Amino acid sequence: MRDLFGEIYNSIRNNKLRTALTGFAVSWGIFLLICLLGTGNGITNSLLSNSGQFVQNSIQVYGGRTSMPANGYREGRWIQLDNGDVRLTKDYSDKVEKVATVTNGTMGTIVMGDKTVSAYMMGVTAEYSEIQKVSLKEGRFINPLDEKDAAKVAVLSTTHLKDLGDDVIGRWITIAGVVFRVVGVYHGDENDFQSNLYIPYSTYKGIFDPSDKISSIIMTFRGVNNIEESDEFEGGYSRSLKTRHQADPDDPSAIWIWNRFSQNVQMTQAQNILRIALWIIGILTLISGIVGVSNIMLITVKERTHEFGIRKAIGACPGSILSLIIAESVTITALFGYIGMFLGMIACGVLDKTAGANAVDIGFTQIRMLENPTVGLDTALAATLLLVVAGTIAGLAPARKAAKVKPIEALRAE
Amino acid sequence: MALIELKDINKTYQGAQPLHVLKGINLEIGRGEFVSIMGASGSGKSTLLNILGILDNYDTGEYILDGKLIKDLSEKQAADYRNRMIGFIFQSFNLIGFKTAVENVELPLYYQGVNRRKRHAMAMEYLDRLGLAQWASHYPNEMSGGQKQRVAIARALITSPRIILADEPTGALDSKTSVEVMNLLTKLNREDGMTIIVVTHESGVANEADKIIHISDGIIGKVEENVKHDNWNSALIK
Repeated sequence: MRDLFGEIYNSIRNNKLRTALTGFAVSWGIFLLICLLGTGNGITNSLLSNSGQFVQNSIQVYGGRTSMPANGYREGRWIQLDNGDVRLTKDYSDKVEKVATVTNGTMGTIVMGDKTVSAYMMGVTAEYSEIQKVSLKEGRFINPLDEKDAAKVAVLSTTHLKDLGDDVIGRWITIAGVVFRVVGVYHGDENDFQSNLYIPYSTYKGIFDPSDKISSIIMTFRGVNNIEESDEFEGGYSRSLKTRHQADPDDPSAIWIWNRFSQNVQMTQAQNILRIALWIIGILTLISGIVGVSNIMLITVKERTHEFGIRKAIGACPGSILSLIIAESVTITALFGYIGMFLGMIACGVLDKTAGANAVDIGFTQIRMLENPTVGLDTALAATLLLVVAGTIAGLAPARKAAKVKPIEALRAE
Repeated sequence: MALIELKDINKTYQGAQPLHVLKGINLEIGRGEFVSIMGASGSGKSTLLNILGILDNYDTGEYILDGKLIKDLSEKQAADYRNRMIGFIFQSFNLIGFKTAVENVELPLYYQGVNRRKRHAMAMEYLDRLGLAQWASHYPNEMSGGQKQRVAIARALITSPRIILADEPTGALDSKTSVEVMNLLTKLNREDGMTIIVVTHESGVANEADKIIHISDGIIGKVEENVKHDNWNSALIK
């Protein structure tokens, strides 16, 4: 074994350029593959984490602006959702599970002792946290009792803690002159320009806005298994809302519905397409690496025919020639394959720290384009192993030919 | 029994125009003989040597080496025979360029599976015998032609073969070095009783041997016993 490695070392040292070229082909192939898969994983992870904020079988409904004349009204009329829509939603179908009411308030200033921070106040019902997946850091979210009593309680975001300090639970804060007690803190998105502050819906309505109007309704539904059923459910629901507001049931813009179920299905499809595309490109990259390796093995074998002739003249059998070529090729491809893999993983790490940290503003929130763009070690190792094995198999034919050539012919080769 | 027996050996190179290079060669070479095979280029002398060295096959006839019929050998068997029975010396030395002198000399033992330390010690011993001990870790391109040929001789000797086959061993050397190399071969023959077969087209080289076999157009012609050597030998015996 040691002898074989001695031979390989000798031969590599003697053929630096050829070794470097082979090594580059292999390293580059693996490097590209790892970067490609890492980026793909980053995009997929980012899609998942951005959608992970919501329960996937949920719908969010906003009022829109009519685009068709209906029931004696002109087009261009604003539709304002109200509590009647909430009741309609709850009674619409037995498919409806949970319904939460949301009022978007205004910017306000939170005052706690001598500290202040601005926040966007939202009045929500207790079901909100079950549909919107609010992740609590400490304390609790608004509960049905708060809602019933119109309690003056508030839930802050972790982003508010920067200005208010960590010790907020149970403390009193003042918003627009009204005193609230802090009952919980949720994990806010660092990238959000402005973080929400939640208070009970009933409290909001009682203090800040006694009207019947609401900003949006969110709900979850059940018994919907595919995109057709989802579309059917959404369509019927949307038509009854429009009818209630004297809009044309077919008006596409009177009511805005954000259906996460169908969006999620589409996103899953997009992810699958992305994944397949990346693998195809990845495999093509690997193939080019394999072709590179086998091509260089071909040249190696041709260049060394005379040497093999000498070895045969002094007693090398075909098997020992073959194993020499194979061992050399495996050593070189494995070594450089792992170098490429290592560099690829470093590149993914750098990508994570740079592009991964950048967020893109998509209007109401910000999303990270790449989240954790890395490749599992198992995938990376498998790809490298595949390249080594395939490269060797591809080089086997010329190696066998070299091993079989008659010694006298090999000696004549120059 | 002779060490080498060739009976009616024929060899034709197949091609567009088949070339019948050896036409019924019959030859016996005994142990400890120093034989030269002489002929013009294209006479078939190198083909004969390649067959003797099991580097090439023959078509018909029989080649018996040390009592064994050399015919239809597998590649592995042929490699083993070459390794244990035959030492080659080539015109162009055929050393492996990226191996040092001692590594080149070791190589036949590597293929015998001799362990690293023993093989190195033996290779050093042979290099020392040929006056090349201080060149052991040099590469072929750092050596003179004569030194390279002596490394090649050390490599040929290290497995203690039955015969040394030398194909124009002085062809690439100047006259002074040629004499040195031929003296070395003569010494091996005289002192160690090594059987040596030299193929050459130079009569000066051929005359160093005990027996000169002339070959032309694939047929063995005159076989001369070398008178000079006979005298020398008989003088030695007296």
